[in-house]
This record gives sequence, C-alpha cells and structure tokens, in this order.
Amino acid sequence: MKIFPENVSTYGQEIDNLFWMTFGFVMVAFVISLFVLFYPLVKNHHSKVKKATYFTGESKKHFRWITIALVILAMSDFIILFAEHDTWERIENIPTGNDLHVGITGRQWNWIFTYPGPDGKINTADDVVIDEQNSELHIPVNKNVIFELRAKEVLHSLFIVNTRLKQDCIPGRMNTRWVNITKEGTYDISCAEICGVMHSKMRNFLVVESQEKFDQYVKTLYEKNAPATSSSNNR
Amino acid sequence: MSDTLHKKSFFRKYLFSTDHKVIGMQYTITGLFMAAVGGFLAYVFRYNLAYPGDHIPLFGELGAQQYNSFVTCHGMIMVFWVAMPILLAGFGNFLIPTMIGTDDMAFPILNMMSFWIFLLSTIVLLASFFVPGGAFGGGWTMYPPLSAGGYTNPNPDFFKAFFSGASLMILAVALEFVAMLMGGINFLVTTINKRTKGMTPFRIPLVVWFINIATIIFMFSVGPLVAGAVMLLFDITVGTGFYDPARGGDPVLFQHLFWFFGHPEVYVLLLPAVGAIGEILSVFSRKPLFAYKTIIYLALLSAILSVVVWAHHQFVAGIDPRMATFFSVGTIIISIPFAGIFLSYMATLWGGSIRFTVPMMWALGFIGTFLVGGLTGLFLGSNAFDIYAHDTYFVVAHFHYTLFPVVFFGFFAAFYFWFPKFVGKNLNPALGKIHFWCTTVFFNGTFFLLFFNGLGGQHRRINDFSLFSNVVKEPYITFEKIATISAICLILSQFIFLYNFVTSAVRGKKAVKNPWDANTIEWVADSPPPHGNFNPYPEVFRGPYDYSLPGEESDFIPQNVPHTNENIPVLKVKLSVS
Amino acid sequence: MNLIQQRLSVPVIKVPQGRLGMWILIAGELVIFGGLIACYLLSRLRYPEWAEQAAHTSTFFGALNTVVLLTSSFTIVKAHEAALKKELTKVTIYMSATIIGGLAFLVNKSIEYTNEIHHGFTFSSPQLQESGNYVGSLFWSFYYLMTGLHATHVVIGMIIMTVILIQARKGKNLHRVELAGIYWHMVDLIWIFLFPLLYIAK
Repeated sequence: MKIFPENVSTYGQEIDNLFWMTFGFVMVAFVISLFVLFYPLVKNHHSKVKKATYFTGESKKHFRWITIALVILAMSDFIILFAEHDTWERIENIPTGNDLHVGITGRQWNWIFTYPGPDGKINTADDVVIDEQNSELHIPVNKNVIFELRAKEVLHSLFIVNTRLKQDCIPGRMNTRWVNITKEGTYDISCAEICGVMHSKMRNFLVVESQEKFDQYVKTLYEKNAPATSSSNNR
Repeated sequence: MSDTLHKKSFFRKYLFSTDHKVIGMQYTITGLFMAAVGGFLAYVFRYNLAYPGDHIPLFGELGAQQYNSFVTCHGMIMVFWVAMPILLAGFGNFLIPTMIGTDDMAFPILNMMSFWIFLLSTIVLLASFFVPGGAFGGGWTMYPPLSAGGYTNPNPDFFKAFFSGASLMILAVALEFVAMLMGGINFLVTTINKRTKGMTPFRIPLVVWFINIATIIFMFSVGPLVAGAVMLLFDITVGTGFYDPARGGDPVLFQHLFWFFGHPEVYVLLLPAVGAIGEILSVFSRKPLFAYKTIIYLALLSAILSVVVWAHHQFVAGIDPRMATFFSVGTIIISIPFAGIFLSYMATLWGGSIRFTVPMMWALGFIGTFLVGGLTGLFLGSNAFDIYAHDTYFVVAHFHYTLFPVVFFGFFAAFYFWFPKFVGKNLNPALGKIHFWCTTVFFNGTFFLLFFNGLGGQHRRINDFSLFSNVVKEPYITFEKIATISAICLILSQFIFLYNFVTSAVRGKKAVKNPWDANTIEWVADSPPPHGNFNPYPEVFRGPYDYSLPGEESDFIPQNVPHTNENIPVLKVKLSVS
Repeated sequence: MNLIQQRLSVPVIKVPQGRLGMWILIAGELVIFGGLIACYLLSRLRYPEWAEQAAHTSTFFGALNTVVLLTSSFTIVKAHEAALKKELTKVTIYMSATIIGGLAFLVNKSIEYTNEIHHGFTFSSPQLQESGNYVGSLFWSFYYLMTGLHATHVVIGMIIMTVILIQARKGKNLHRVELAGIYWHMVDLIWIFLFPLLYIAK
C-alpha cells in the first residue's frame, strides 16, 4: 500500500521526503520512549521490587539523562526545521518569469477559473471566465503556472492532492501559488476549508496536457468567448 | 463545626450549594452529560462516513447541513463543554481546596454563580439545535464570513439573526468563558491566599500547580477572543462589518484572535490532566515525582511558549511566509519542555515499586497514547509539510490522539484515583480494568488508521467522499469502516464505566481514608470530606512526594507528619540509582 | 469549633482576599480591552483614511468625560481614605460623589451618542455604507463597540458602588470601598487609553 497518492508536481516529492525524514526521527523517539516506559513496568513490578529507590531528580546529575534526551530532541527539531525551510521557501516564492497566470476563485460551491484573454494578461477585460459545476482547468505540462487565488463570499481552500498544494482563498485578498506539473492527466481540485452545505460537492478538475493541446483549448475558448471580447473592445 | 452547615434542605445542599465539592460534582456531571451528547453526535457522523447515505440506527437520515452541524457541535462540545468543565473546573474545584488544606474556595458564592452561568451556556448551546436552520455548521473555529452568513445581508433582522445557530453558539461560548473566568479568579486567589500552615509554594502538589498555570494561560489568552466573539456576534445580529472584507474588515483577523486563544487552550486542557497523571504515577511507583521543581519550571516555560505558536493553524491562510517560519520554530520548540515533562514522568517509574492499580493503568495509557499525539505534532509543526497535511484526517487523528488521552484518559485516571476520597465508596477494580482495556483498544482502532487516510489526501468535514477519486478506494474505505465500528465500540464500552460509577456510588464498599497510601493532604480528610473538609486543619511539614524515604519503615509519609531527626537530611542520602 | 476558628488557614502572601481577587479580575478585563484595542489599531494602520472619520468625534465631550472620570477617581480615593478612618459620613459623601461622576459621564456620553446618531453615524452606519464609505462605517463600529463596552463597565461599577455604599453607610464591609475604588480606577485607566485613540489621534 502506498502511503501517499501519486505525486505529479515538481515540489511534491520534497514534501513526501520531508514526511519520511520526520518519520525517521519520530520512530526512533517513539521506540526509545516505549522502551523507557515499559522497561521499568516489567522490571520494577512491586512483586519483584519491594521498596522503591528514593531519588528526587532535582540534582543536575539525576537530570542529565533527560537533558541529553532534550538536547538530542532539540537538534533533531532543528534538522527538521532547516530541511523544511528550503521546501517552504520554494513553494512560497513565486517564480518571477513570464509564466502563465490563471485565476482561481472559490465560490459556493464550485471553483471559477479565469484565463488571460488574447492579450496574454490576466485581470483585464478580455479574460475568459469559466464558472460552472465540474468544469475543467486546463494547464500545460512541465510549465510553471501561477494561480491567483481569490474567494467570493466565504473562505475556501484550494487543494490539489496530487500536487501536494493547498492554499486558503480569502475574500478580499489575493494569494498566489505556483505549480509545475510533470505528468499529463486529470486531477481533482477540492476545497479543504468548510464553506457551507455543499462543501463536499465542491470538486472541479485539473487537466494537465501538452502545450499544443493547451494552446488549442485556449483558442477554442477565445472563439466561444468572441462576442464578449469584441463588445469589450468596442467600449 | 457548626451544625447548621449540615442541616440544609436538598436544594441548598445539592443545587444551590456553595460547597466546592458539590460544585465540582455539578461541573463534572454536566461535563459527562455533554460528553454523552458529543459522543452521540460523533456516532452519527462516523456512521455516515463509513456508510454514506444509509439509515443510521437511533437517528435516521443525515443531511449535509446536519452533518456539518454535528461535526461542528461535536468539536465545540468536546472542547468547551466537556474538557473545560471536567478538567479545569471539575479538577480545580475538587482538588485545589483539599490539596492545599482549606475549607472552601476563596469566593464560594462566585463559585456557585460560575457554575450557574456555565449551565446557562450549556442550555443556550443545546437550544441552538432547535432554532430554525439548526445548530451552527461552519466548523468549530467559527471562521467568518461563513459564520456571519457570508455577509449576504448587511441589515439583518435582529431577532431572526440572534436566534440562529451561529449567534447562539457564539453567545454560549462567551457565557462559558465568563463562567470559567469566574472560576479562574477563584482558583488563583484560593491557591495564593488560602493555603494551610506550612504549605509553601514548593510543597503544593503538582496538579494544583498545573491547574493554576492552566488558569493563568486561560485568563491571559481568552480576552482577545472574547472581544473577537463580541465583534462577530454584532456582525451577525446588527450588521456591522468587522470581518467583512467588502466593508473594510478582515476575516483573517478573527482567525488570529481565535487561535491566539485556541492554541493556548490546548495547554489549558493538557496541564490539569498531566498534573493529575503525575500524582498518580508517583503514588503507584512509591517514589517521589522525578524532578518536581524542574517540571514546574518546564510547565511555566511551555505556558509562555504556548502563546507564540498560534499561527501554525494558519500556515496555509496566506500569512506572511517569514511569520510562518517564526511560528514553525515556536511550534517545534514547544515540544522540548513537554518532552522534558514526559521524560521526567517516565523517569519516575525507574527504580520504583510499581503497582498496577486501575488509576495507574489509565496514567500509563495516557502516556503511551499521548506520545503518539505529541510526536505526530512534529510533522504538522513544520510548515512545509503542513501545506499538504492541513485540514486532512492526519490533523484529525493527531488532535484526537492528544485531546482524547488528555480529556478521557486524564479524567478516568483521576476519577478512579479520587473516587474513594470524594464519594467515599470503592469502585470495582475488575470493571475498571475491563473499561481501560476496551477504551484503549477501541480508541486506537478509531483513530490510528485515520493517519493513513489523511496522508492519502482525505480532507476534513466532508460528509460524502464519492466525488473524490483519490480517497474513494481501498484501503481507505475499509479504514473508515474499521474506525466507525471501533468508535461505536468505544462509546459502548463507556457503559461499563457508567455501570461501575452508579453501582459503586450506591452500594460500593465504604472507602478508608487513605486507600492508596498517598501523601498529599486530601487523604488526611475523611472520605468523603465533610463540609469544611478538615477538622482540625492539618499543618504541613514536608513536600508532597516523600515516598520510600530511606531509613523509614513506612514507604509513605503524609505531608502533615513532622520531620524526625533521621529523615531531615534528605538530599545527602547516598543513592544507588543515578 | 465555630466558623471563625475554622479559618485557620494562613495566607502566605499578605494580600486581603478581596483585593487579590479584584486584581486578577482586572488582569482578565485588561486583556479583553487589550484585544479590542489591538484590533482597532490593526485596522487603523491598514487605512490612511481612518483619520477623516475620527475627526467627527467630539474632542470636547471626550475631554470633559476624561475630567469627570478622573475627578470621580479622586473622590473614590478620598472615600477609601475615609473608610480607613471609619468616618462614615465622609465615606457616604465621597462615594455618592463618585456615583454622580459616573452618572455625569453617562449623561455626557448619551448626548454625544445622540449627536453622532443625528449625523448618521450609528453602530453599523447604513448611510455611510450606502455612500461606499466602508472605512467610515468600520470606524464607527469600533467606536461604538469600545465606548459601549466601556460604558457597560461604568454602569456595572455604579451598581457595585451603590450596593457597597448602602452597606458602608451603616459601617458594614468597609473594606469593600477599596475594592470599588480599584475597579473604578480600572474603568478610568481603560478610558485613558480610549480617549487618545478615539478622540485625539485624528
């Protein structure tokens, strides 16, 4: 059985590795603690040891085992922190190149996708907006894609399991996140923050396809959207 | 003692009593009743998760809105109406006056009012199930804008908005805070001011220390949330826009206020339970609690640290990345003092003469299960992994592995330990052991597999996973079913406890004064302690943990026994284990 | 053994119980107001146009209320002093003066509220919202919440003082005069924070 679902993003593997590294530390700590807990239970049962040994543990000498354990714990804590900090920075730092920006807006209860219009820029009048249940967000494979995350009325949280990406969408704010998906396919986009009655029905699809197919898809979108575009140009 | 105190009508004695023991009992029983309510809610939605859409025995069909309400109220009830009254108010009321050797709380009438306000809050909460629209279903964190109805109506009808699930729940929480604040004032003043002669700070038993530290954390952190809750209440009822982003407000502000309280709250619940466990471990190892003073300092340190970790609940809320790093460091560092406390507890066992009584088994079970909860916290503390794990069942399993041991193992350990003292009857130990093993096995069965579900990407608060291809497959479906069946068994095994409780209280054998050979001075009083507890007041001559003192015949010396010449130079004794 | 003998437990810190309880209550109250003030400051720092709305508050009434409250704090101190000397008439006079001070504060406050409501500044300020002035409506929400919560404390303080006054006139529970004084000083202290935040910083 696989612990994690299939990973398809460039940074997803790092998050999985981070889990396994922490898991290593935790298992060592767990096994040692269980030993420390159970050994005296077996050895010092009152049928074997009639009178306990008196020590208060207040002196440094007594406390030294715990001090050592705590120092080791602190060191492993900091190893985990340093390891995760790199990953955190990579996910938090949005690439600054000339990448595709896509708007994702949460509403009750589906995700709204916004593609930049023919001018290639998002948040302009000619944007293409898809707002329907079970709609698909198409993005090209192996490219950095930047999500501009917003929410309409209540909090939502973008969660794409296979990319390990999760980010809250907050009304009145824009959060940006990026993703670079290495494998073509269709993935679930779900909402991880309770947003009302139909929270569990809030699911759309992320379709990752080659650049050519993506260009073709966007072209059809523009054609479908053409009347709206021309009217906005006339204005 | 004046006889008038004993001759009171039933109402004065059991309902409007100012006696701390009766008030403690009232809190505990209300808490247990609410635990039954919370447990029933858990049963209903767990059943729905394993068998979505099925008819639920004893309930019926569960709709999506009801599912949300039930999940929300389960969380609310278990934290604020079970854990708080039992661990803070119940333990505090029973243990503080008896363990520091006084007759009652500093302000008995305030204490009584505290309970009645608490009861009012309980009624308001339960009433919220019956208003139009049902109980609030936006998660126990009450995040606006959802809790304010998405701000669809800026000019709400006051009465209609007031009698809605959301605003009644906020009101109930606010009342509960007031009750606990009143109790908290009492605990602190009583401990500072009403100690018996000779009860110096470092002769106070650990659990009293911990209840007071918990009270201080509570009183320090709850203020901003009280203000925040009032603001949210006005947002709902009169149409202000404190958290409405469209009107200049900021929904994230509420998250900060909530978690500024919400995270310290975990330590508020944790510390009283941990303190009680410490007492029990020491008694049944027949050994002094290892590093008693150091544990107190570590607890104070963790209390300070606990107020600088709150934003780890918001790693994915779009807070400043540098801030997130700061809170990540804080979160992971707080593991150190707690590891120190728990290692000291384990060190108490070493070299002891261990008796496996029922309270001891609960205490050991507490350490074992809490270990899993504490260690899984390390995963979540690192903010990069939290991006994935946030709001998944990994988090659910993690906090149930911390809070279930704290609330239930901690309570049951204390219950089986102090029942002979405060009820005056002996419990049936065989039933207690069966109860322990059933609870431990089924608790682990309920929550352990959910870690895997969480790592598989199953997110929280979803009543029907059929749309999500990642989790609607084996083995996750089987895991859900195992979890549900275990949860049902877990709830059923609590009837053993109930049976034991009722039969023992009614026709159990009369308990002796000090059945466990313990040192702390509540065991000097009669069982059950009369009104006024002690007659005469004991004078305290020594610390609470003089077990197995070398050169003494008895392996325990209660705190009210004066030093004799032989056992004064305690620290100079040569030690064989070091 | 009678009840008085029962209270043998020796306080280790020599602070009277009531005073200690009052201090802890105040500590709890201050964090509530602290949280509220922190929220206010965060919102204020977010919006530069905040000051325009704050300009509508009446500094005159604010200052007058400050003077009234400070004076009433002075009289309650005098009442405490008299209570220590057990001069019952003076206790009655000074405590009544404090209660009247609280009453004057509330009268001022209600005149001020009336003026503001006439200008359309209410708790949720629908008029401002309709004109799109959301920052303004947020300011007034904070204004009414903070001053309202403070005024609630004034009312509670007046009730407490009335109860204590009735007992103190007959020489009963004179130590409680001091507790009322501590509480009243807290009310005063909170106002000292609210006054510059709401009335002066424009």
